[in-house]
Amino acid sequence: MQQIVPGAVLLFSAPWPMTCYRIETMGKYVIIECKELTKAYPVEATMVHAVNTVNLPVNKGDFLVILGHSGSGKTTLLSLIGGLTSPDSGQVFIDGVENWRQSDQALSTMRNSKIGFIFQFASLIPTLSVMENILLPLSFCQNPAGSRVLALDILAQVGLADKANAFPSQLSGGQQRRVAIARSFINCPDIILADEPTGDLDEETEKDILALFRRYNEQGTTFVVVTHNSDLAATQKGARVFSMRQAVLTPQAG
Amino acid sequence: MARHNLEKQLSILDFALSSLWRHRMKSLSVLLVFAAVIFLLASFQMVTQALSDKAKQVLAHTPEITLQKMSAGRQESIPLAYGEQLAGIFGIRRVVPRIWGYYFDEVRLANYTVMGLEVNEMPEGGRLGATLAKGVMPGPADEAQGRVVVGQSIKKTMDLAGRTTFSLFRPDLSLKPFEISGEFSPDTDILTNDLIVMNVADARDLFGIPAGLVTDLCVYVANPKEIETIAKKISEALPSVRVLTRSQIQKTYQVVFGWRSGFGSICLLAALAAFVILAWDKASGLSPEERREIAILKVLGWETSDILAVRSRESVIVSGLACIVGMTAAYIHVVYFDAALFRPVLMGWSVLRPDLHLLPRLAAGDILLILAFTVIPYLAATVIPAWRSATVPADSALGG
Ligand SMILES: Nc1ncnc2c1ncn2[C@@H]1O[C@H](COP(=O)(O)OP(=O)(O)O)[C@@H](O)[C@H]1O
Ligand SMILES: [Mg+2]
Repeated sequence: MQQIVPGAVLLFSAPWPMTCYRIETMGKYVIIECKELTKAYPVEATMVHAVNTVNLPVNKGDFLVILGHSGSGKTTLLSLIGGLTSPDSGQVFIDGVENWRQSDQALSTMRNSKIGFIFQFASLIPTLSVMENILLPLSFCQNPAGSRVLALDILAQVGLADKANAFPSQLSGGQQRRVAIARSFINCPDIILADEPTGDLDEETEKDILALFRRYNEQGTTFVVVTHNSDLAATQKGARVFSMRQAVLTPQAG
Repeated sequence: MARHNLEKQLSILDFALSSLWRHRMKSLSVLLVFAAVIFLLASFQMVTQALSDKAKQVLAHTPEITLQKMSAGRQESIPLAYGEQLAGIFGIRRVVPRIWGYYFDEVRLANYTVMGLEVNEMPEGGRLGATLAKGVMPGPADEAQGRVVVGQSIKKTMDLAGRTTFSLFRPDLSLKPFEISGEFSPDTDILTNDLIVMNVADARDLFGIPAGLVTDLCVYVANPKEIETIAKKISEALPSVRVLTRSQIQKTYQVVFGWRSGFGSICLLAALAAFVILAWDKASGLSPEERREIAILKVLGWETSDILAVRSRESVIVSGLACIVGMTAAYIHVVYFDAALFRPVLMGWSVLRPDLHLLPRLAAGDILLILAFTVIPYLAATVIPAWRSATVPADSALGG
């Protein structure tokens, strides 16, 4: 189907600075598909639904915004899509392959090559430098030197080019968040799953990050962004907006 | 593909090393405790091994049967004539008299063991020559000649500065001159370190033992299988005599030694158990931080096997270093410090002389055993919890 040229490979033929380039396939196709997806957690002897019969096809290149109050099941939905949590019933397909039909190894490879995660909470390893944190997804790749160049480039895109050797504890919450964002792009993923990505950013930085998202989105990266900030939807032209209420996902008109 | 595998192994190793470095305080403390346990185990094993080797040497040289005259529960000089009474017992090859005793040198504050032997009479007497570093054994025993062979520490204590003569006091405080005609080689230290060997006549003169009496009689038999029977016959013929066979001496020794090393082993096992519990506790209670780190790696697409590989490399590096450090320290402890830590437990019986120098020996089997008791529990204690943590869904550690 689609062909990807990893950025790291292009590094040696393209001039610096560079980002991930991808050769686009013609037309749209369904890259994520949730079918009757359901997950419940036990709360005091009863089961409370975190995600209830969600049906959601996502096309390649879509920009999804999911709005909802806290506790409505947004994080759980992202975990299910990314194959971090197994559903009680229903299925998730990524590129037509069902997540939980795969071995742990295949699932890991899928996460590593196709998905970039941005967590709701701090997700940097405190004892690793910014650069080392960003390179974690590429730890076993074959081109360490190239990866560093790529990482520096992405760091520059989130405005932290000078912080490559800093440790997370030396950064503000917003800066840590930006490092996590940079890390999610390092493996040139097809899909970015972002959980409240701009939660602790100031307005200025938030704008920059959203612009960055848009740029990647225009290049074909699919976004599923979870937020309780309804303004975010307005800034992304052509975004598909959903709302999540008590584990149920509904498309928003307009 | 092979190349990629190699690179992957290298980056796993790299990550393991940097992870150890990142937690260097923790790694260092585990390493130290681990090395200490291996040090204790290995040096104990080396000492035990060295001592039982030495003990074998000692016992190999004891006569097959030793006769001592007992009176009021104490050993007394035995009449030479007793030997003649044994003439009728079939199977006795030879009866050789010995005069031995301890000599306290008040000038140098040292204790010597004086042994008067009839070297030419002893069946294996000729082989004694092989234990000498230089010189010859004292000659025939019929007359005093003042020639002696001494052990290494005697030579040192007396500080003869090139001279070959010295004197010892007789009981009446008259001086008896001696000339050193040879010295024992250092290899035989356990037996000869504090030993002065002379002929029986000289020993008799030195200790003032009346003619016709000796310290004990050594009985050599023709067929070792008959030792017990012959010992029984001797007891019957000489009721007032204590008959010691080599195996009895061996047994006494082993009981004492076995008890001591058993006691030591129990202490060490307790230390080991404490270490395993500590390792288990430390590792199974993966800190929330570590759990989160594993979850993050999982989310970023690391396979469970990669995480385990890093963990096990870390453990292998720690235990490898601990082994090298612990074993080296143990070797130094035993060789250069003569196992100072274990001396109070293992030494202090006259069989094992206090200034004995130990030559440690650690067989491959012992090393494997020590590794099996330390490294395997440690690996299990560190890798299993990581495995459990890496196989649970990653989201639970990340919350949200
Ligand atoms: N691992 C878990 N164990 C138990 N309950 C959970 C777990 N994860 C989420 N929940 C529950 O599921 C519901 C949805 O949570 P979540 O997906 O985190 O919501 P949101 O991200 O929208 O705030 C909440 O009631 C939460 O308490
Ligand atoms: Mg959430």
